[in-house]
Amino acid sequence: MKLNDFDMIRKEGPLAILTHWALAISCILLTISGFAFLYQNETIAMFFGGFTAMKYIHNWMGVLFTISLALTIPMWLKECLEYDKDDIQWVKVAGGYLSHKVAIPPMHKLNTGQKLAYLGVLGMGGGIIVSGFIIWLYPYSQTLMLMAHFVHNVCFIGIAIFIPVHVYLGAIANPGTMRIMIYGTVPVWWARKKSPKWIQEVEEGKSH
Amino acid sequence: MSKKSLLIMPEMCSGCRACQVACKNWNQLPAEKTSMKGDFSHPPDLSGTTFNRIRFAEMPTEKDKFRWLFVSQRCMHCEDAGCMKICPTPGALYRTQDGGVATNKEKCIGCHLCLAGCPFNVPRYGADGKMAKCTMCADRIENNMLPACAKTCHTQAISFGDRDSMLAKARKMGYSKVYGQNELGGLGVMFAFKDAPKVYGYDENPSINEMVILWHKYLKPMSWFGIGGVAIASALHYFAVGPHKAEAPKEDKKEEVKQDEAK
Repeated sequence: MKLNDFDMIRKEGPLAILTHWALAISCILLTISGFAFLYQNETIAMFFGGFTAMKYIHNWMGVLFTISLALTIPMWLKECLEYDKDDIQWVKVAGGYLSHKVAIPPMHKLNTGQKLAYLGVLGMGGGIIVSGFIIWLYPYSQTLMLMAHFVHNVCFIGIAIFIPVHVYLGAIANPGTMRIMIYGTVPVWWARKKSPKWIQEVEEGKSH
Repeated sequence: MSKKSLLIMPEMCSGCRACQVACKNWNQLPAEKTSMKGDFSHPPDLSGTTFNRIRFAEMPTEKDKFRWLFVSQRCMHCEDAGCMKICPTPGALYRTQDGGVATNKEKCIGCHLCLAGCPFNVPRYGADGKMAKCTMCADRIENNMLPACAKTCHTQAISFGDRDSMLAKARKMGYSKVYGQNELGGLGVMFAFKDAPKVYGYDENPSINEMVILWHKYLKPMSWFGIGGVAIASALHYFAVGPHKAEAPKEDKKEEVKQDEAK
């Protein structure tokens, strides 16, 4: 079945959209409040209602972050663990991000960069979640506390770098991507260009 | 104002624990139920309501079969304070004008990180979930009074004054080395030990855990570098390379033809 280029095709379902928004909001609030804790910034803390209130917001946003990150695992992990020679080629041409002249190998629903980024988020998110819960709930061992604090902070740097890159690539550098976060659908012609393997599978009836 | 210090001479201490009582008295701290943990120290540990206690350490040697050391345990008021480094809340721990490290319970958020930052295992949490420790009697010093413990000490094992005069006093008493003179940038509580600090229960070279140092000194500035670097790199990418524009097929017929051929 050949898809019409000007039809819309659903890339992500409502649960994925909701989960992503929960992740985005919790992650941004956590990063901002974490930054305020790190640099003892009273101006930022003021917007959260002081340091004590900010602590509770930080902790409970951490719970929301944990739940939403856990929900992404059944949705995205399987695809993010599948790589083939096109993915190697994608890395070689840096996803076409450094030059528009290179040929980008055909991608599935997610491209190599997205898959690797997801694994990075899962890894750093996992680290920051586990260490965060230790700091919050089990502050009785000095060694454990120091290790958890260190892991929490190193993962924080990773995530603090990831967020602006992710927002830039998603909202600015790839026009047309942002609408997935709102509607979950994309035009077929757009998907044909970004995710040809996926569209091919849909047309062959192997995927939806 | 010049930096002030406590000078503690365990050899002069008679173990009367009047300083513990004076501390509780001034800071309005309740007595707590104590327990026997194998020595005569009571209470057996510092707590949210015990800022100062005398450790009764039985340390016999070959020559001296009966050697009983009475060592005060409390916040050391480090110049390079690990607790202040790691504390996420400004003002919860602050430096007094006399060089002590004081606490403000109203600002403490109860995160327990100061426990991890302290090289002397001093901070304790009270029932209210806030950290409490010796403040060097900041409120008394401000009013030209001695800290409660120094005021009450009848053997003058605890004395208080300008740092230099305290060092001079120790030297005059025959102690060439004073514990805390240079440790951690200079401690606000100095000890005149006759023997190795270890005998008295103190580290030879106390230091803030290297993980805290590594983070605060090297990695923390990198988070700015990281975020700033990413912002600059993104802007450069946008203007130098430009976004990945996906154009509708009508304007890009060649590609459509190519894909049809491939099928």
